[in-house]
Amino acid sequence: MGNVGEELIRRMAAGDSEAFARFYDRYSPLVYPLILRIVRDRPDAADVLQDVFWETWRSAGTYDAGRGTPEAWIVTRARARAIDRIRSVRRRSETFVAPLDEALAAAPSDPGGDAAERAADRSVVTGALDRLPGPQREVLELAYYGGLTQTEIAERIKQPLGTVKTRTRLGLERLREIMKR
Amino acid sequence: MSHETFDEQAAAYALDALDAGERAAFEAHLSGCARCESTLRASREALAAVVLEVPAAVPPPEVRAELMRRVGGRADTRSRTDTRRLWLRWAMATAAAMVVGGFLTGMFVAARYEAELGRVARETSRLREDLNRHEAALQTRVTAYQAVVELLRDPATRVIAMKGAGPSPTAEGRVVWNETSGGQVLVAKLPPAPEGKAYEMWTIAGGQPTPAGVFQVDASGQAIHRLPPGSGRVDVFAITLEPAAGVPAPTGPIVLASTK
Repeated sequence: MGNVGEELIRRMAAGDSEAFARFYDRYSPLVYPLILRIVRDRPDAADVLQDVFWETWRSAGTYDAGRGTPEAWIVTRARARAIDRIRSVRRRSETFVAPLDEALAAAPSDPGGDAAERAADRSVVTGALDRLPGPQREVLELAYYGGLTQTEIAERIKQPLGTVKTRTRLGLERLREIMKR
Repeated sequence: MSHETFDEQAAAYALDALDAGERAAFEAHLSGCARCESTLRASREALAAVVLEVPAAVPPPEVRAELMRRVGGRADTRSRTDTRRLWLRWAMATAAAMVVGGFLTGMFVAARYEAELGRVARETSRLREDLNRHEAALQTRVTAYQAVVELLRDPATRVIAMKGAGPSPTAEGRVVWNETSGGQVLVAKLPPAPEGKAYEMWTIAGGQPTPAGVFQVDASGQAIHRLPPGSGRVDVFAITLEPAAGVPAPTGPIVLASTK
């Protein structure tokens, strides 16, 4: 799978728009649910998605296969742009807690939303994260999907910063173990 | 600073959860640390794998169209199309697709329903055939019983026992016999005749066998067979295994015979 993606990125770097179309078709359905889950707003998600892929087109030449798979490359970028978006929204509206709670509310019982939204919610319930101890999973989710720093997480869950740091490290170690298999 | 601190920072950095000051310090360390680079790479791959576990969802097609336009160079100088308008168009297209989808689903359900109806109809007709066959068999049996009872009303009627012989020593038989009106033979424990064969009844008088019809036994080894009136006295009743169409004179083994 990686090799196809790498080849497409190489061709994109050479200005091959056909390769870009294929790259988009291959990866946009994979990262769109992530973006939607983080920003919780379809027009915003479509906006972020466009930014993310525009960036991949512009920066394809800087992709280094030695530093990660195309999947990690695009997912890291998509997550970062989506978090940028909610951080700027939070700054603008100065509401901090409410939208975050919304973003983190994995509400499988919520009858609203369409398949993509529900699918995004489900990742919390059924994914590999589910196999982590609850406290570790909590800090990973607050950071990854909520865009909180460790200091913010410590305040939010009312735990010492050191505890949050330890949970983060242990949680990611465990996740790497799970995903290696 | 022990490296454990960097391990913690690497994890937080992969999640983009370091505070600004810490992030700058870690980035300074990272550029020369193979261990942290490796941790970071593995963490990002793991997080990406978690993200990709979620079912894919095709984004609004306008995003692709817009990107292709920008890549083609035509839209690069222009401001981007308002995504809210694109979103509205996408929503309308989606609604239209849902209507079509609903229609197709309806057709699919109807087709499935018809298939199910067909299956039920076939099942019903099979059951009805079974029932009809059963009823016909019962009717035949009742008719035979009635005939036996009618015969037994007549004081001239005799009941003659038959004993198993040859290949079926445990078979049993009774002949309810009336010289003027004929009779009925009831057999039990006779194995079903092999393919292409049947049992043939004989009335024997003065050493001369006369054929009295062929019959089959049911799965339980029973049969009732009607005997035509004879042309006089019968000394012995016998049953042989013969070709299914019957033969004018016995050729096969005797399976049941009356004792004289």
